[in-house]
Amino acid sequence: MVVAACGRDRGAPRPRPMPKIDGSPALRGGGAARSPRIANYKIEARLDPVKHQIAATETLTWTNTGESSVDTLPFHLYLNAFKNEQSLFMRSSHGVMRGAHASDTGWGYLQIESVRIAGVDLTSKLHPPANAGSDETVVELPLVQPVAPGATIEVGFKFTAQLPEVFARTGYKGEFHMVGQWFPKIGVRVGPPGAERWECQPLHINTEFFADFGTYDVALTVPNTDTVAATGVLTNAVDAGRGQRTLTYHAEDVHDFAWMTDPYMDVMSGQAKLPSAGTVEVRVYYRPEHREFARRHLDAATGAIEKFSAMFVPYPWPIMSVIDPPVDAAAGAGGMEYPTLVTTGGDSVFARPGVRFPEYTTVHEVGHNWFQGLLASNEAEEAWLDEGVNDWADARVMAELYGQRSSLIDWMGWQAELGAMGRAIAGDTGPSPIATAAYAFVDSTAYSEATYIATMRALQTLERTVGSQRFAAAMKTYSKAFAFRHPTGRDLFDTLSSELGQDLTWFFGPVFHQVGRLELSLRHAGCRAAHPPRGVFGEAGARKTVTEVEAPDSGTWTCEVVIQNTGTIHVPVEIELNFADGSSKQLRWDDRGTGNWERFVIERSSRLVEVWIDPENKIALDNPTTHHYRIDGDGAAALRAGAWFGAFAQALMQIVGP
Amino acid sequence: MARPGLGDLIGAGPRAVSRYTGTLLAVFVAQSIVAATCMVAIAVVLAQAFSHLAMFDEAVDGDLVALIYCVHHGKASLLATGGIVFAAIMLWQLASWFLVGGLNGVLAQRPEGRGETARCFGASGATTYLTYARLALCSLPGWVVVLFAFGTGLSLVATRIEYALTVPELLGPLAIATAPALLLLHVLWTVSDYARIELTLRHDTHDPGVVATYLRTLVYVLRRPVTLIHGALGWLVFGLLTAAYAYLAQGHPMYGAEGAVTLFVARQGLSLLRMATRFGVLAGQIELGRTRPLPPRRIEAKVDPKA
Repeated sequence: MVVAACGRDRGAPRPRPMPKIDGSPALRGGGAARSPRIANYKIEARLDPVKHQIAATETLTWTNTGESSVDTLPFHLYLNAFKNEQSLFMRSSHGVMRGAHASDTGWGYLQIESVRIAGVDLTSKLHPPANAGSDETVVELPLVQPVAPGATIEVGFKFTAQLPEVFARTGYKGEFHMVGQWFPKIGVRVGPPGAERWECQPLHINTEFFADFGTYDVALTVPNTDTVAATGVLTNAVDAGRGQRTLTYHAEDVHDFAWMTDPYMDVMSGQAKLPSAGTVEVRVYYRPEHREFARRHLDAATGAIEKFSAMFVPYPWPIMSVIDPPVDAAAGAGGMEYPTLVTTGGDSVFARPGVRFPEYTTVHEVGHNWFQGLLASNEAEEAWLDEGVNDWADARVMAELYGQRSSLIDWMGWQAELGAMGRAIAGDTGPSPIATAAYAFVDSTAYSEATYIATMRALQTLERTVGSQRFAAAMKTYSKAFAFRHPTGRDLFDTLSSELGQDLTWFFGPVFHQVGRLELSLRHAGCRAAHPPRGVFGEAGARKTVTEVEAPDSGTWTCEVVIQNTGTIHVPVEIELNFADGSSKQLRWDDRGTGNWERFVIERSSRLVEVWIDPENKIALDNPTTHHYRIDGDGAAALRAGAWFGAFAQALMQIVGP
Repeated sequence: MARPGLGDLIGAGPRAVSRYTGTLLAVFVAQSIVAATCMVAIAVVLAQAFSHLAMFDEAVDGDLVALIYCVHHGKASLLATGGIVFAAIMLWQLASWFLVGGLNGVLAQRPEGRGETARCFGASGATTYLTYARLALCSLPGWVVVLFAFGTGLSLVATRIEYALTVPELLGPLAIATAPALLLLHVLWTVSDYARIELTLRHDTHDPGVVATYLRTLVYVLRRPVTLIHGALGWLVFGLLTAAYAYLAQGHPMYGAEGAVTLFVARQGLSLLRMATRFGVLAGQIELGRTRPLPPRRIEAKVDPKA
């Protein structure tokens, strides 16, 4: 059905010319290491495109940069997430992720055939962690001799990676192979000096990846018919005989290595010009039927690299590869980030020019080269630091590239801004705060809402509250300080507090660490004609009754406005009052520590006609539907909508009747 | 009687519209009243929910984000709006059995003068109302088959639609998949039209049975493609008028209450044109319906033996 659906007879794959070596160094401009280079890999891999299997050897050189010795090495075997229904990933996803379904026939796994240290075969020593249960995505290797602080150890693997039918970012579909999370990968030592521990989480539906920076030298033997894209730069290409060739890639200061092969893909390239001088070559890999979308992805990726480089730190590598997967592989392989290589998606007939979901996907994935490629936070424990912070940055970048009001949609007169759209469609974040480990959310919906949307909204609120330029400068400082490191939420909060010159605990506490909302609303608004006091005044003989005659209306109005916040988050808010004579008055309410409501009484020569809470739309954490409130209703829009529905009904009536 | 050709059927339309303009306008006014009532009811419901919220103005003016907020905020009101539209259509469906019966009677009997036309319209509509209702019930299995064909066709191309990258890649499979269902729909629709005409024309003389008429008409329509072509041309004009309006209206937003009224009036003009088209098609169908072979005469069986 799928082949029929694609309906494209591509013919047999034909050998392609040997690819040209990338002349550039692995780091743009060369120079010294930017990261500690703790985990360095040398891999030789051979793809069997029929079995979708990779036979490989790997040499890991790992340095203990901590202050405590290490007696066990844990390794991620991510592909085992797709081995059977007993893996944590399959149990937590029920075999469905982003609309893609795990195949019943295309299971994937990673089989370690041998592991050696200093020539000693330790394969039999490999065992799962104590609490792993049926999950096989992590394996531990006890060491004969502990690795002392500052010492380096070399571990040799021989393994076979069976790719799954494409699902959850990796696998094959026909001749297309997207190879990610495919080799044994060591965990990360975290914690205070002297008390370090391993961080090596099993793969869960919500968790992504966490690894140390290092260098990668990877030799890939693939069919000579295939177009290949990979992390890093191509340093060597030789004929391997039997219709195969070996391509060697070198990458520096990255924490992962992914690659793609496909016999039908073309390449389109462009250059991103960085503000600090220098350029980045942007390559989009696509099948011919995606050409129009590839152009859009290229523009988006180029623009994103330029904007992200200006906002944070310059993109440090010379190449960015963007894979536009075939349509039938897009749900499984699309929308994923690796260092210097991302997969995009969103290509569809419904994504007309101006409907920028494909562009957004590219910008988001390219943005991940900063938030988590450079600022390599722990995606299992603090996923919001890459997804949510990236989403916040995406909204800015999309607005700069495509216009503020139309950053996501500008089609047939309909416009929508990315951040505003995210806020409008935001759902329930569930019973967990933003700062929750990815695997600890009640479900994937709660994870997504909190990690992506709520984090973006929180940062937008803070940004607009403290000022956009100041906030941008603070974020730039954060990115500079923690590039090529593993920043935590605490690092981000401390940097922002310090750079913005104020203790922001009042914001970070309730927004990131507590469950609750910001729920501003107008409780009451109204005016009455002002007049001197009426009633009975004085005692005995001096008693006097003041009536409407003695105290007529003074011609002014006493207006009362009550604003309330029924949520748990408190942010200073501006309020605009508009009066019948066209004048307005600005108020500010800071309810931090002052109660959950405030009554404003205003004497004015004109009646109050409108109350507008947060008129500049600074508070992205709240739902703004009722924020702009008219005291006297105006049914014009309702009448227009009624006219539209009436005409629609009449058209249907004319179909069913005369 | 010579069987009329396609040109005759089309030509009967303008003649009927010019001769019975008053009848057409009367039906149109009835429809406009239902539509206007629907509009006002919806406006009241929406005003209850949104008249104080400026965001609803932005939503109606084309702000997609504001529209999403308003949909979330006023789910119950929008559900009520849908209910009102549905009720209006159902009401018109029920009324249409009377109205179409009346129109068929007028076009078949060609009364002279306003009073005679009105009497003919009312008498024919009332006489055939229950017969048309039975015909509608009789047509139901056909509509179920259409729905099944539509669903099956769409399921066959679901993957193609999902993976379509260009408009031709979308529309091609969609057209192929829905063509059988649409063709069947058109055939059954035409059968219903001609069956109604037969029931009107032969009611007094032959009193044909509903099921037998439906089946005979099915055979008749299938044997005479001109019936289908004529009907299809009518729907084509209906669609083109709607598309032309949509094209012309693009980029002319009408704001405020005044805009709402202008919008309603402009759309009434469009509706009148479309109704005139339907009326013209009906007139052509009557012309052809007159030439159909007579049904078996059942009317004698109803003759009182004492008489």
